[in-house]
Amino acid sequence: MRALRRLALALLLAIPSLPAWAQEPISNLPRNQTLIVENPEGTIKNAGWFNIWAINAGGQSTGLHQLAMDTFWYIDPQRGIDGVWMNSLASDKPVYNADFTEMTVKLRSGIFWSDGVEFTSADVVFTTELHMKTNGMRWSAPFQINVASVSAPDKNTVVFKLKKPNSRFHALFTVRWNAVWMMPKHVFEKVVDPLKFDFNKPVSLGQYVLHSYDPNGKWFIWQLREDWQRTTLGRYGQPGPKYVAYVDPGPPDKRVIAQLNHELDIIHDTSAEGMFTLAKQAKTSRGWFKGFPYAHPDPTLPSVIFNHQLEMFKDRRVRWALALLIDIKAVSMASYRGAATISAIAIPPTGTHTESYHAPMEAWLKDFELDTGKRKIKPYNPNIGKEIADMLRPSMGDAIPKSADEIVKSFGRGWWKPDPQAATELLEAAGFKKVGNQWQTPDGKPFSVRIVVEGDLRPIMTRAGSMIAQQWRQFGIDARTDVAQGTLVDRRNGGDFDTIISWSVETWGGHPDLSFFLDSWHSQFVSPAGRVQTPRNWQRWSSPELDKIIEQIRTVGFDDPKSLQLGQDFVKLAVQEMPVIPLMAYNVFTVMDETYWKGYPSAESDPYTDPVPNWGNSRAMMVKLKPTK
Amino acid sequence: MNAYAIYALKRLFQFVLVVFIGINLAYLITHLTPIDPVEQTVSAATMFGSTSPEAIQMMRQSLRELYGVGGSAFDQYVTFWRRVLVGDFGPSLSAFPTPVSTLIGRALPWTAGLLTVSTIISFTLGNLLGGLAGYYRDSRTLKAAGIVAMAVHPIPYYIIAFVVLIVFGYLWPVLPISGGYRMNTAWGWNTAFALSIITHAILPVASLVLVGIGGWFMGMRSLVSNVVTEDYVTYAELAGVGRGKILRSYVMRNALSPQVTGLAMSLGSIFNGAIITEQVFGYPGLGTLLIQAVHAGDYSLVIGIASVSIVAVSVAVLVIDLLYPLLDPRVKVS
Repeated sequence: MRALRRLALALLLAIPSLPAWAQEPISNLPRNQTLIVENPEGTIKNAGWFNIWAINAGGQSTGLHQLAMDTFWYIDPQRGIDGVWMNSLASDKPVYNADFTEMTVKLRSGIFWSDGVEFTSADVVFTTELHMKTNGMRWSAPFQINVASVSAPDKNTVVFKLKKPNSRFHALFTVRWNAVWMMPKHVFEKVVDPLKFDFNKPVSLGQYVLHSYDPNGKWFIWQLREDWQRTTLGRYGQPGPKYVAYVDPGPPDKRVIAQLNHELDIIHDTSAEGMFTLAKQAKTSRGWFKGFPYAHPDPTLPSVIFNHQLEMFKDRRVRWALALLIDIKAVSMASYRGAATISAIAIPPTGTHTESYHAPMEAWLKDFELDTGKRKIKPYNPNIGKEIADMLRPSMGDAIPKSADEIVKSFGRGWWKPDPQAATELLEAAGFKKVGNQWQTPDGKPFSVRIVVEGDLRPIMTRAGSMIAQQWRQFGIDARTDVAQGTLVDRRNGGDFDTIISWSVETWGGHPDLSFFLDSWHSQFVSPAGRVQTPRNWQRWSSPELDKIIEQIRTVGFDDPKSLQLGQDFVKLAVQEMPVIPLMAYNVFTVMDETYWKGYPSAESDPYTDPVPNWGNSRAMMVKLKPTK
Repeated sequence: MNAYAIYALKRLFQFVLVVFIGINLAYLITHLTPIDPVEQTVSAATMFGSTSPEAIQMMRQSLRELYGVGGSAFDQYVTFWRRVLVGDFGPSLSAFPTPVSTLIGRALPWTAGLLTVSTIISFTLGNLLGGLAGYYRDSRTLKAAGIVAMAVHPIPYYIIAFVVLIVFGYLWPVLPISGGYRMNTAWGWNTAFALSIITHAILPVASLVLVGIGGWFMGMRSLVSNVVTEDYVTYAELAGVGRGKILRSYVMRNALSPQVTGLAMSLGSIFNGAIITEQVFGYPGLGTLLIQAVHAGDYSLVIGIASVSIVAVSVAVLVIDLLYPLLDPRVKVS
């Protein structure tokens, strides 16, 4: 017993000395030269794999595609360092022939791989031809479908001859999150099977090279190249961080703790609650917006997606009735705790879209009339963004912006007025009827709607779905959520849903062209019921009017003003037809700690890029960040 | 053939049967899941980029061929067993073409190390303290320890883990809360790496020990309370044998046999425990790998991990079964 007591006492005395030997900096790299960033891919199970051209064999946003890869062009989802369009490996924009069957690219000279070999058109030709002759590489299919031949008249020129006209072929090489990355010919030409080659250690075309990595996939460290000037970003000056570490900090609560301890400079995304905690407790932490809603609105549009192959959703009056039963303020509160940026139109309210689409179409939306069958109504309420701000102000105080402009940027503009009477009229006009408290379909069955949500894997969307189900249920529709945790992809792709909270609208963000997602909405790509649908027309909507718009977009150039006009035509059609009910931008709670670094992008002072660090575009941050110490 | 050899053969046959049924169940369950690995891969590869629907359809076809997920169910089942019998679970479908065995080999030492250490610590401490508490029933310190053990034991593991995390990671941030070792520390047999591994393991081990110790404590205390009333203990006391010797040689030794059986049974929960521990503490290992594999529909990897755990637990139980008659002469194999 005495021995036991002595042991307990010794342990007790040892506790105060714990900090002395247990507490240590997060790494042995100089902290004031190291930027620590969350990699949302989490733990990479195949950490030693850097061949990004093999599909999903290893990690991507481990810094690999942000810091070591490069391609012809980048479109920034915000404003860009010196404009939205960035010529990267290309020295100019793509040049097409008249019928879009040939694309010529002029390359920037003086760019070198990290092992000292010069980047030339031979690398481009090699990349293209390897994908054309090898099945199963990440971009094999688009090359095989589009490219007839590729040639290099000189070391700085590449000519692609296409199998059929494609005015958007350059999109394949234009980074919006990622794009086709160039391969080092001198490395891969010695490889027998490019699908079984790990590319470890990777030869880099970006400003950083791999320094070290955890074989367990918890962290990857990149070091600034000594010859950083010989990369495409070299013209913007020396990057601030000497080292960039991409780490897996764990679930949202641990990310918050890590940043409070100044061990995580950039949180990729956390919960709304985590963001509010950091805003209150950490003076050095900031989001994209300095105040509410803090988060960055990504060019992705969470919506209620109908399955148009179900009889009950074929009538637009039904879709509109369901839209008019949604109180977006309640959905905003339930999902993002109010930190949502709403959109009534099928365009994400972010980047340059607010100027290209949301602002110019405001007058049209105010005048838009909907025929309920008994009367015409004007369903648009332009003040909902402001109403959300007013609703939050008593509890959030000064964090809520006051000026009309800031409110629009933060919370969005207007949305549809909840109007149960109009919804009743629309449903009745469509042949539905209410028996007792329950709505029935025209064939006398209960009007039952399942809303598929992703559960804990995407809590914000799940909470939005639950709120919408509750609102529809209060109206007498048998609505409930159906949690598809882990199976959402299969159910969405297979059309196994009534409605689903997801997104089928994703855009460039920084460019008004909508082909990025809209081309896939053409009816030629809609699968029959029961067959797998290819992205992104998850709603399986077929519309001759839409097909006409898409076909016209295909014939005009990317920067042609007609493209914007056609985009606005799509928006009008989508409002009239309501193929999906747009809700809000996918707001990402990226939180940046200014303890060690300054110069992060921000909505107010310097919106030079999307801060969300898993985007390939986030490389722009490295040249703008400067150490504080 | 003597009785022990027959007993050992029976146990060996049971072992083979359990492993065979277990692996078949793992195969069946993973193949009944609605998650399609090809769809998951296609979705992950195209969710951000601009890839045309035609190209995606072509990619889908290529991946089906590459992953070898075509063919009849029977052919797939036969191929599977051919591979398993030579210890090959094929390539991981979510980290293609890396073999499943490579991924498991990388993760297993972390899980096995963490959970073996925590199980041994909680088993040893719990039984030691429980034995003392059952023998020295008047000790206030040990009574207090009993109350603490009873209070902590029913608390769900994730609550304990979270409390430990908050206390030592946030309120009094003295210990690392994530990873298996310090970032950028070179692997090797050196003090810095070893210390780094130990400091990173303290919180995960402590949380597992806190939860695990109570069961051993209460079980041992109860067993000892019964043993001390036996005639041979009373006789030893009357004969003037020292209390320490009585406790060590007569009481604890006799009370330990059922606990050893319990230890074998608890090995099964080692692999279950890995999942939550690794998620909460960001600790590397099989738990994280398993969750990733399930979400990706990577059934090769799921079966590989399940098979490893089935074999490991079965081997542990077999070893205990075979040693038991040798350790405890009261157990008659005939």
